[in-house]
Amino acid sequence: MSVALRRAAWPLVLTVWLLALGGCGAGQESGPVTLVFKYARILGNADPLPELLRAFEAAHPGVRVKGEALPWASDDQHQFYVINLEGRSPGFDVMMLDCIWVSEFARAGWLLDLTSHLEPDELAPNFPSAVASATYGGRVWALPWNFNVGLLYYRADLLAKYGLRPPETYEELVEQVRRIRAGERDPALDGYVWQGKQYEGLVVNVLEAFWANGARLLADDGTVFPEPARAADALRFLRGLIVTGVSPAWTTAADEELSRRAFGDGHAIFLRNWPYAMDLFDGQGSAVRGKVAFAPLPGRARGEPGAGSTGGAHLGVSRRSRYPELALALARHLTSEKAQRAIALGAALSPTRQALYRDPDMVRHHPAMPRLQTLALAGRPRPVTPYYLLLSATVQPEFSAALVGVKPPERAIADAGARLAYFLRAVR
Amino acid sequence: MTGREAAAQRRALVCVAPTVLALGALTVYPGIWVLWLSLQHRIPIFDVSRFAGLENYAFLAVDSRFWSAAHTTAIFTLGSVALEVTLGVTAALAIHTVRRGRRLALSLLLLAWAMPAVVAAKLFEWLYHPAAGLINVALGRYSINWLGDPAAALPAVILADVWRTMPFVAILCYARLLAIPADVYEAAQVDGAGRLATLTRITLPLLGRILLLAALFRTLDALRAFDIMFVLTGGGPAGTTETLTVYAYRALFQTLQLGFGSALSVVVFLLVMAVAWAYLKILRTGAVAA
Repeated sequence: MSVALRRAAWPLVLTVWLLALGGCGAGQESGPVTLVFKYARILGNADPLPELLRAFEAAHPGVRVKGEALPWASDDQHQFYVINLEGRSPGFDVMMLDCIWVSEFARAGWLLDLTSHLEPDELAPNFPSAVASATYGGRVWALPWNFNVGLLYYRADLLAKYGLRPPETYEELVEQVRRIRAGERDPALDGYVWQGKQYEGLVVNVLEAFWANGARLLADDGTVFPEPARAADALRFLRGLIVTGVSPAWTTAADEELSRRAFGDGHAIFLRNWPYAMDLFDGQGSAVRGKVAFAPLPGRARGEPGAGSTGGAHLGVSRRSRYPELALALARHLTSEKAQRAIALGAALSPTRQALYRDPDMVRHHPAMPRLQTLALAGRPRPVTPYYLLLSATVQPEFSAALVGVKPPERAIADAGARLAYFLRAVR
Repeated sequence: MTGREAAAQRRALVCVAPTVLALGALTVYPGIWVLWLSLQHRIPIFDVSRFAGLENYAFLAVDSRFWSAAHTTAIFTLGSVALEVTLGVTAALAIHTVRRGRRLALSLLLLAWAMPAVVAAKLFEWLYHPAAGLINVALGRYSINWLGDPAAALPAVILADVWRTMPFVAILCYARLLAIPADVYEAAQVDGAGRLATLTRITLPLLGRILLLAALFRTLDALRAFDIMFVLTGGGPAGTTETLTVYAYRALFQTLQLGFGSALSVVVFLLVMAVAWAYLKILRTGAVAA
């Protein structure tokens, strides 16, 4: 660097420093209170959130709410939170949480314990399983915000044509696929599409197959795969769906959207997916408009009735928030019945508050709401444990190996169990 | 040592000090820290922090997922580097030979190289789409379950990586080709060398050193490959596209097992160092002509 250049550089460096210092000082002391709300963009006809945030500001003069978008994928959101919360940077006050993270974040001490701030029975209007996943160690750490449950979508027109009722067991489903495909003679028509790609969605699909077969991933006492033979049998059944062509070969690469599109284009008879898909199937320009209905996920013959896995998002308050009371007020505002109604009408997210499923105004817009409530009540949560992500990330490749047929199901279960035993021994 | 020499030496030390300090702070210190972490069970969010000795490494030795990831890393590296070098040299020779369209070809190559890996991966995700993807539409009845078949997924990932990084090899080689003086070829012609002889006796040997360098860079990159498979397959199906770095990422950032994840990182580091050392050894011994 020449001397002249070096001289010229000093004022620049100083200016940058001063700017940086000034920037640090700005947000800290004076001025109105700013609450930061972290959430994933809501898709739908109209994003109702900006308006909800403005309403909160109007009710709380001097408070500004900044909505900040999270990354799109759930794994990236988790990573964002972990890095920021572990790094102790209080960059946000209210945060949207996937229900599977609440125990983990609570255990890590990142969430404000809301128990003593809540009115008695304040959470009672919500689905019990939503409240269960917001609770850890007998304390409440988040407010339920929206709800998800696994559903079996079916082509009502095709089933009616062959005089069939939605299947109650997977065995029936397989038989119906055979009959309809034999009758339709359409090589482009697949039977049952679901999510078999190696990711969180695969764990959800396998858990649903486990439950239908009387198997679990985690027992209450912490045992992993308490019914290994039944679990292996469930995996073998899923593999069988692909081998026999009831499910297309690409199931092993399918996520929610890939399978939703195939069904939405009219290329499948049955689909396992979340409630958000219904609005898209009934939307303008959909190839299957008016031809789709949903039913509970099937059980197994001589097994238990089927149950959809529940999911959804909660709102938590960061323990490092400088305005915990205001942050809780914001979380309450956003999870209120009024806000959940606006979100359900404006976007394709289902409420956690049960009253909304019977609300005449809601039912007029979404006629399937009462039925959805019944299925949501029958849903089962994924294991509620602080170690859920460890559990899921460890079993994913093993489940996938059984599905694509590179490992016998028994060995996949045994290998996953052995790895989990080592990891869990370290954390317990 | 004269006074002047001593002064020069002091000045050299002063000049090199910032680099050494920066390297020490940014590379050596974190490196040692990772090594230390790998000897522990450490999961900060669950307040787990205790010395584990070599337990993490002992577990790796019997962990089938680790060996599968090591296997995948090896195949990915060998496959992608071999293809990139072969295709890169071919492309460079082709560009060097043709008279017209040279600039266009170079721009297209640069375009692929300039594309961020994540964008390229997204592009290929659509190309490989089971029903609507261009490749399967072209294959018609013979369509392939690219990202869902354990036998096809790794080749599909390698192909995407080759498409993106082959231009790097091609451009390096092309630059070297431009630097070969024309009289070398003229002399060969006078001696009666045919096209094949010119290629195998003159062009390729003269490319040798730059090719080795290109292969070194590409091998080190491929051993640490992460983005392309992370986006395309997430490591699936059945973990067949999970490289060591993807496994390390999952342990470090997804399940926050800092100790176990660090042990994985240390293994990757040792692997990369060993390969780099081997390459440098070949380069130094001058086994390949300049």
